[in-house]
Amino acid sequence: MKLAIDETRCKGCNLCTKVCPYKIFKEGKLPNLRGIVVPELDRPERCTNCRLYHLYGRQLCGVCQLTCPDQAIHWVEEEPYEPHKVAIEY
Amino acid sequence: MSFEDWFRQDRLPHIYCAGCGNGTIINCTLAAVDAMGWAKEDTVFVSGIGCSSRAPGYIVTDSLHTTHGRALAFATGVKMANPKLHVVVFTGDGDLAAIGGNHFIHACRRNIDLTVVCMNNQIYGMTGGQGSPTTPRGCISTTTPYGSTEPAFDLSELAIAAGANYVARWTSYHVKELERAVKTGLETPGFSFIEALVQCPTNFGRRNKFRQVADQIEYIKAHALLKAKRDRLLEQGERIPEDMYVVGELMRRSRPAMGLAPTEVKP
Ligand SMILES: Cc1ncc(C[n+]2csc(CCOP(=O)(O)OP(=O)(O)O)c2C)c(N)n1
Ligand code: SF4
Ligand code: SF4
Ligand code: SF4
Ligand SMILES: [Mg+2]
Repeated sequence: MKLAIDETRCKGCNLCTKVCPYKIFKEGKLPNLRGIVVPELDRPERCTNCRLYHLYGRQLCGVCQLTCPDQAIHWVEEEPYEPHKVAIEY
Repeated sequence: MSFEDWFRQDRLPHIYCAGCGNGTIINCTLAAVDAMGWAKEDTVFVSGIGCSSRAPGYIVTDSLHTTHGRALAFATGVKMANPKLHVVVFTGDGDLAAIGGNHFIHACRRNIDLTVVCMNNQIYGMTGGQGSPTTPRGCISTTTPYGSTEPAFDLSELAIAAGANYVARWTSYHVKELERAVKTGLETPGFSFIEALVQCPTNFGRRNKFRQVADQIEYIKAHALLKAKRDRLLEQGERIPEDMYVVGELMRRSRPAMGLAPTEVKP
């Protein structure tokens, strides 16, 4: 599973940057084509739901998705053998 | 299935302002409805007029977007005509407590089997920010430019006093707790009232020193007092800070209810 922000829906309120326990959402810097500054994802592979959804067979955490007032946050399936970045936290 | 399946995808994005808390409350309510496993054909959403009341228009089930203040009157009609339907009402503080105040107390008194989610943004959002019955003392609105001088209604206390079976209050910050509270409300026979404090950045936040949406969320979070903690403070005879509001499950009881489907009626 891969975390994604739907740029056609996001209104740039930055509420997601306040709620994620891993602080995956960071305030964006540049406006997109609609003039909205969409947050950036900082190493999204750390997200609980991305890592464990298939193992547990159900939604985990999901606080950002419930909080997003514009229904812009969702998860997409990954292609088989998609290259992964490995995040090591100390 | 997830709560996203209950949205009318063709109608999104909705027209709410950036950072408006109403969208969050719709998410939490739909997540609870989804967890009940109800069929979409058996579920009806009803609302009055206001920003909050636009919610049913974004949901795939049958819905009624009625006149200002009358959501509960229409919902009563739906429920009494066909008690098998699951009826959920979205309403705002103005819709529920100002023009619809009488319907509110009588729906509680009758204890009709409805679940009511009130998005309390403490303002008339849709019409440009007039003060509502829940605007806190000292807050600026277009009708109280020097700060409101009136005491505000506590909607949850009102519902408890008038006889509702289940009453809970949470905020747009407490999404998981809110989802759980709505689910308990949906499971409880009789009138269930869930008050959700939300931010209205455009018409409340902007005039009341919350320059960013996140500032108001921080405020809402910092001033929420858990019911258990409030009870502990009361026990110890300590004073409850005046600018705090209590969150949590405030009432759960089983007064006789109206509008239950025949199989649900207990002898
Ligand atoms: C009978 C009637 N009176 C007044 C109005 C104007 N009006 C529309 S929405 C509204 C206030 C809504 O406030 P609230 O229920 O708190 O909803 P919010 O927009 O804050 O979510 C008013 C007074 C109306 N539409 N109908
Ligand atoms: S909470 Fe949703 S709408 Fe707001 S910035 Fe994050 S993704 Fe965008
Ligand atoms: S699901 Fe939880 S951990 Fe994952 S991005 Fe959202 S808030 Fe963060
Ligand atoms: S006016 Fe307030 S309540 Fe209405 S959509 Fe905008 S922020 Fe939300
Ligand atoms: Mg309002």
